[in-house]
Amino acid sequence: MDYLKRRAFLKAGFLSSAVIVMNGCSVFVITTSRDTIKVLQNDLFPKAKELGINTADYIGIVLKHSHISQEDKEYLKNGVKWLNESAVEMYKKQYTKLLAHERQEVLKSFAQESWGSSWLDTILRYTFEASFGDPIYGSNNNKAGWKWLEFTGGEPRPKKVYL
Amino acid sequence: MYDVCIIGSGAGGSPIAYELSNAGFNVVVLEKGKNYKEEDFSKDELAVSRRDMFTPPLKEQKHIINEYSQSGKFVRYDGEESGWNFWNGSMVGGSSNIMSGYFHRMKPKDFKLLSSYGEVKGANVIDWCISYDELEPYYDKVEKVVGVSGKIVKHKFAEPRSTPDLPYPMLETNGVTDWFDKACKDLKFTAIPTPRAVLSQNALGRYGCYYSNFCGSYGCASGAKGSARAALLQKCDAEIITDAFVYKLDSKDGKITRAYYYTKHGIKHIINAKIFVLSAQAIESSRLLLNSKNEEFPNGMANSSGELGKNLVFSAGGSGSGRFIFEELTKEQQKALMQPGLFFNRSLQDWYDYDDGCRTYKGGTIDFLFEHQNLISRVNREMYDEEGNLLWGEKLADKIHKTLTTSRVLTFEVFNDWLPTDNCNVSVDDEAKDKWGVPVGVINLNSHPQDLEVGEHLAKKAVEVLEGMGAVEIDYSISASPPPNLVAGGCRFGDNPKTSVLDKNCKAHDLENLYVTDASFMPTGGSVPYTWTIYANSFRVADVIKDKLKASKH
Repeated sequence: MDYLKRRAFLKAGFLSSAVIVMNGCSVFVITTSRDTIKVLQNDLFPKAKELGINTADYIGIVLKHSHISQEDKEYLKNGVKWLNESAVEMYKKQYTKLLAHERQEVLKSFAQESWGSSWLDTILRYTFEASFGDPIYGSNNNKAGWKWLEFTGGEPRPKKVYL
Repeated sequence: MYDVCIIGSGAGGSPIAYELSNAGFNVVVLEKGKNYKEEDFSKDELAVSRRDMFTPPLKEQKHIINEYSQSGKFVRYDGEESGWNFWNGSMVGGSSNIMSGYFHRMKPKDFKLLSSYGEVKGANVIDWCISYDELEPYYDKVEKVVGVSGKIVKHKFAEPRSTPDLPYPMLETNGVTDWFDKACKDLKFTAIPTPRAVLSQNALGRYGCYYSNFCGSYGCASGAKGSARAALLQKCDAEIITDAFVYKLDSKDGKITRAYYYTKHGIKHIINAKIFVLSAQAIESSRLLLNSKNEEFPNGMANSSGELGKNLVFSAGGSGSGRFIFEELTKEQQKALMQPGLFFNRSLQDWYDYDDGCRTYKGGTIDFLFEHQNLISRVNREMYDEEGNLLWGEKLADKIHKTLTTSRVLTFEVFNDWLPTDNCNVSVDDEAKDKWGVPVGVINLNSHPQDLEVGEHLAKKAVEVLEGMGAVEIDYSISASPPPNLVAGGCRFGDNPKTSVLDKNCKAHDLENLYVTDASFMPTGGSVPYTWTIYANSFRVADVIKDKLKASKH
């Protein structure tokens, strides 16, 4: 797989731990996965915010899930590093510090690469899980995602979350 | 000591548990997974479909898959690395909990594939050692005990029945089925209401269907679906031991003496019984026997013939779809289209066999159904534009909203014979092991070119119907990729102990007290989903075991 070839995996793997973005040989900036993913999710699917859906916190569930492999979790975090490297390359700033139109330019360039596009695909899938999964998981605010798509859900609804 | 020990609690094992325990015998069922009840089954897409809560994580249990090409070369895939998942439903009742329950009987000619259609070069086609007539009373029994709803219509390939109709009336269907019936009438095809293993009314101590909109892939919260758990295990006193992964059988003097199992924490247990019944789903049943080598059976338990694991089959065919869009429908039609919950339930069997001018081919079945209602999956399918570029922002949101609120997809599934071949079989790996240290199963995959030709023929007929109904974006894919939930073979039954693993009663030729009652026994698969036949055959074998145990008591 492309992403495996591009970068060796990082060992650390949680939302709030530091992601070190290099600029050539020197450390350029230290950011966190949470900040980048939150801004990115809103760039990719602004509808969620409009509907009052908190997609960023849902990523916390993903990173702790017993049925998501460690590899997949590390892939999420690696992508944050790649996206920030693209941002630094183009605008000498980390992704979250860019203006909206600059972030769109970074995304366009990033999505041209197959490894970039695959990672955005993954972020979107988790964003949709947050937006359209059962409200019991805490993000699909009062079924706002379901109502937007005129979806009634299936009964019975879960009484507890599956983690 | 138990009278009967059953390994695997799905459609193959449960009829034995039900019949034997209700006849007063002491039965134990060993199941690797958990025991869920009706109240545990919610329609949680994240848990069921995104996180695969009913199957083991591949890092703990996997398969090795060798995919053969026609030239005989193969590519090896590690199930964990590739994500290629052959698990179905690891729980009490097995994958019958999450089946859709499209129930078709096999037809008389399916039992005589070789003598009806002749040899096929490169395929190991044979006749079964029993006939349709021998299985018919048990198909009938399944209708009554497990519960099959629907309505029998006459058609060219309708199989003979001992009763005029199914015991339970048809489930309610969506208004779009009228468009289907009309299109079929115009094309001179016979629309068949699909029989379902779903109760349309309260019966058999279970509740009828409440049209949740989420049937296939999900457990049934009312008990309407005829899972082995709801229909059989919950209706008998057989003892069920969960968290029991059987990894080895041992034998002495031509008899199985004990089954060994591990709990998830690796604690080892032993079970003794007079009779052992293996029904762990085809691939795992062959794997267990191959992993149970001893002095008597150095090539694997019950494998003096060398046929163990051979002639694995799936269901060939594929699927296709067409979309109905609001722009081309009246307000009333739009309303009918979007009505949630009700079933589509239509099938075609007009080409169960067909002639191409040179010879008669064995054809198959086409089932029509609405696209699965899983919302996240449907949204995910909208992520790319027609050129395959990833979309985001407002463009993406608009596409999702329009597609999901003003159109609906009707899909079809083609079922035709997956011809048995030399390169399609089960073995065990020399290196890869599961979390208990037990060698994993190797699935050697090969498909016969005729499988694809027949699938194409059927898919084109389905396309004609979708066109007749006014669908757009019609597309289909017939491929050699195996559906993991439609698997059979590996322990062929037959009269000759040199060329088959099991005898006609599904008892191992080599052993006095070992039966295999999942789909492993099937020498050819027929052109329908397997579950009804697995149930029926298991009820048949239950009668044999019952007689044997009764005789031994006297």
